[in-house]
Amino acid sequence: MSEILEIRHLEKSFGDHLVLRDISFSVGQGDVICIIGSSGSGKSTLLRCINFLETPSGGEILYHGQNAATSMKRTRYNSRVGMVFQSFNLFGNMNVLSNCVLGQMRVLGRKRDEAEERALTYLEKVGMSAYRDARPAQLSGGQKQRAAIARALCMEPEVLLFDEPTSALDPEMVGEVLNVMQDLAGAGMTMLIVTHEMSFARDVASRVLFMEGGVIVEDAPPSSLFTSPRQPRTQEFLRRVLARQL
Amino acid sequence: MAANIPTNFFSWVSFLMEKYGDLFLKGTLVTLEVAISGTILGFVIGLLVAILRTIPLPQGRWYTRVPLKILHFLLNVYIEVFRGTPMIVQSMVIYYGSMMVGIIGRGTPVLPAAIFIVSINTGAYMAEIIRGGIISVDQGQKEAATAIGLTHWQSMVHVILPQAVRNIMPSIGNEFVVNIKDSSVLNVISLNELYFTGKSAAGSYGRYFEAFFIIALVYLVLTFTVTRLLRLLERKMEGKKHYTIHGSQSDSASRITVSMDGKGK
Repeated sequence: MSEILEIRHLEKSFGDHLVLRDISFSVGQGDVICIIGSSGSGKSTLLRCINFLETPSGGEILYHGQNAATSMKRTRYNSRVGMVFQSFNLFGNMNVLSNCVLGQMRVLGRKRDEAEERALTYLEKVGMSAYRDARPAQLSGGQKQRAAIARALCMEPEVLLFDEPTSALDPEMVGEVLNVMQDLAGAGMTMLIVTHEMSFARDVASRVLFMEGGVIVEDAPPSSLFTSPRQPRTQEFLRRVLARQL
Repeated sequence: MAANIPTNFFSWVSFLMEKYGDLFLKGTLVTLEVAISGTILGFVIGLLVAILRTIPLPQGRWYTRVPLKILHFLLNVYIEVFRGTPMIVQSMVIYYGSMMVGIIGRGTPVLPAAIFIVSINTGAYMAEIIRGGIISVDQGQKEAATAIGLTHWQSMVHVILPQAVRNIMPSIGNEFVVNIKDSSVLNVISLNELYFTGKSAAGSYGRYFEAFFIIALVYLVLTFTVTRLLRLLERKMEGKKHYTIHGSQSDSASRITVSMDGKGK
């Protein structure tokens, strides 16, 4: 099996508060996994533990079968597992192109010419190449998020983590970002997406994880999870959420 | 000769200027030299301290955790000691202390020692100012830098500090102005700076008011000029207010300049 990531018995606590307990699942090549659940269920913490923005309190993360925390340099692992944030987090002191070039040059050691060429390719892909000279403060939310996706793609990661990528956007800009993500999924990108966009999860995901209280309650393909959820808690959540969406 | 003795304030000022103009100029240059190099070196010290103090403590690994904690403690001691004692006292302790233990001899020029004292004193203040600047930059950018694989050093140098420094330019300017004025305390280790030259000139004729009136004017001119220059630099650091959109839907070769102040071009 071509498992890129395997999460084993992952735990995370902040002080006495246990946020994640015994999380286990694996991410294979080309998987598009959507993580859904109510606020405070531990979805974002899970994603942040996977790229070590939070240090897990227990369990392990295997990257191609090897312990990611001990067997490789953190910077190298981070360059293989990309992240897109809810609040974009573009570097405010540089324009869009430089945002995309910095990591390529400093982490991957690419020459400026090559880095700029690739940056433009990916900016083109997310429809942002026209805005390569603009600074983050000069862009709309949707544009910022598309630029941030291009920045992550420039590192050519094996997995891309999305932490509620559309939650900070005006409703009219959600679509442009979801379209980009759908294109990526279609192109075979492996993605792990924390989202509240149920229709996106239903249409694009290959698997959906439903989380509550720091555990994965249900892990199933969207076709079965959305139409015939097995766990009562999943049913309850979907009833509440789907009444508003879809 | 008697006819040459000045009789009023203005003639005393011009008399002192004529007689001691060169000395005042030399003093001014020494003051500037100490203030400029002290501020720049202090800034560099502050940057280094701030970078070191923001290294995140790795969880669970005691062999990196303990040395880092010791380092943080020592840096805190440095900051507390140099912010908590007057520079005039620091200069006495450092200058005569290093003479006593033989780091410098009796005949050593006092200028390098003066620059060292001002730098290390400014460094302690700068470290705190820069820490404030780092806090002012949204934490998310540090996370984003980490997430693409940049090291702590790289994300500090390329992403966080450029923004932090821009945000704290007014405070850095303050430090510079303070250094121009407070380098005067170095007269206690006989540095020939502006205040010291004023004292020499005033003493010879007993004309303290006139001499220090001149000195005050020079200080004012120096600080005012520096403030203006820094304001100019600040404006430069804000970056361009416009950007170019490359290509439009109908014409891929078009270039549209968008201006942030609403004046399209």
